[in-house]
Amino acid sequence: MKSQVLTPRTEELLVERALRPLSDAETVELGALGAADDDSLDLAAAALAVATLTTEAMPADLLERLAALPLATAPTAPTAPADTAPTAPADIVPIAVARAKAADRKRGFSAAWLAAAAGVAVAIGAGVYARNASTTVSATAEPAPSVARAELLAAGGDARTLTWSATTDAAATGASGDVVWSAARQRGYMRFVGLAANDPKAWQYQLWIFDRTRDQAYPIDGGVFDVSSTGEVVVAISAKLHVDDATLFAVTVERPGGVVVSKRERIVVTAKPS
Amino acid sequence: MEDVLRAPPAPPPLLLARVAAGERAAMRECLARYGGLVWSLARRFEPVDAEDAVQEIFVDLWKSAGRFDGGIASEAVFIAMIARRRLIDRRRSRDRRPVTEQIADEAEHAAAGTGPDTCAEAAQAARALAKLRPEQQQVLVLATRDGMSHGEIAEETGMPLGTVKAHARRGLMSIRAALLGVQEERS
Repeated sequence: MKSQVLTPRTEELLVERALRPLSDAETVELGALGAADDDSLDLAAAALAVATLTTEAMPADLLERLAALPLATAPTAPTAPADTAPTAPADIVPIAVARAKAADRKRGFSAAWLAAAAGVAVAIGAGVYARNASTTVSATAEPAPSVARAELLAAGGDARTLTWSATTDAAATGASGDVVWSAARQRGYMRFVGLAANDPKAWQYQLWIFDRTRDQAYPIDGGVFDVSSTGEVVVAISAKLHVDDATLFAVTVERPGGVVVSKRERIVVTAKPS
Repeated sequence: MEDVLRAPPAPPPLLLARVAAGERAAMRECLARYGGLVWSLARRFEPVDAEDAVQEIFVDLWKSAGRFDGGIASEAVFIAMIARRRLIDRRRSRDRRPVTEQIADEAEHAAAGTGPDTCAEAAQAARALAKLRPEQQQVLVLATRDGMSHGEIAEETGMPLGTVKAHARRGLMSIRAALLGVQEERS
């Protein structure tokens, strides 16, 4: 999405194109204005649609037909031009994920990240697999997650309890708790005691799940969440992808809404099988 | 593990890049991951011909997958953009044909959905939407999610047509600004 200033007429046409069919004359006019390739309004409309749409599953027979469609001989994916690689530190850039990832590749995994993990090998790199979403959940002492956690434990099976190890991050001072995860059920819950409450408008916590079957550089996004109390809180895990074999859980502090590329600056707790 | 972390491999290719490279497995993964999104959009824009529309959208997508640039949009938003463009194009074609049938009422579906946080951009768009006036929010959602024309929105809401257009324009520009703001702030 380019940040170009739009003239009133260009703006009008681009808005209209994002919402309704343009006439042939309008299409020609937009081209003459040099704005035919400006996708910014189309992307804004698409982002809104994604944000507000409640999806339903596609019918199975349609899915089968689509899977049988021939793949077009598509051109190779474009390489990002050199000037799109930022010199600023990579951060969560919802619109410019690739820029941040390019920066990550240049910089490599920072020593700060490793140090912050207090000896635990943790790296939340470019969250390619995790970019589909960070569901924000509110972590309060409400009974539902607590009850669900207890039920998961009571059900036995493969549910495992891993104890959190707090780092030296200020938010984690005195924090304890555990994470319960069942690979069979793909469900889990985080329990915290003493983890600092966050201001959701300023920052949020985000869980990352390392899976033995995946590249360790690309942990699975386990969801963005808030902690409203330093008392005991239980948060449901919202893994965005199937977790085959969790080897490490790590919670970071991120900007509101979560990230797809972490700066790896603040890791608050980690947990892994002994 | 630490050695791996100190010298990480390049990130795996994004799904659409793999589709562009001709990986059928990636195509199936793309259908599994985004099929619901496309299907749900098509159902709202074209309740009668949703299946045809979805097929056209994915044919478009397979052809244009190579143009995807992760520096500009996430895959979900890129795919939603391709889908909306195709659906809008279909409306143009339909508008040029004599109307021979009544478009069925939109069905509401209670199935669990992706909700407002399907990707970081969508979350940002949702936050920006929440800051708009309620009538602007209403117009934008009806226009972008449901594919309603300005005239249909005016009829649905009772707002004058000019007001609908103004809300749509200002509202969408606000969303654009919010998305660009995030990008600029970080870059």
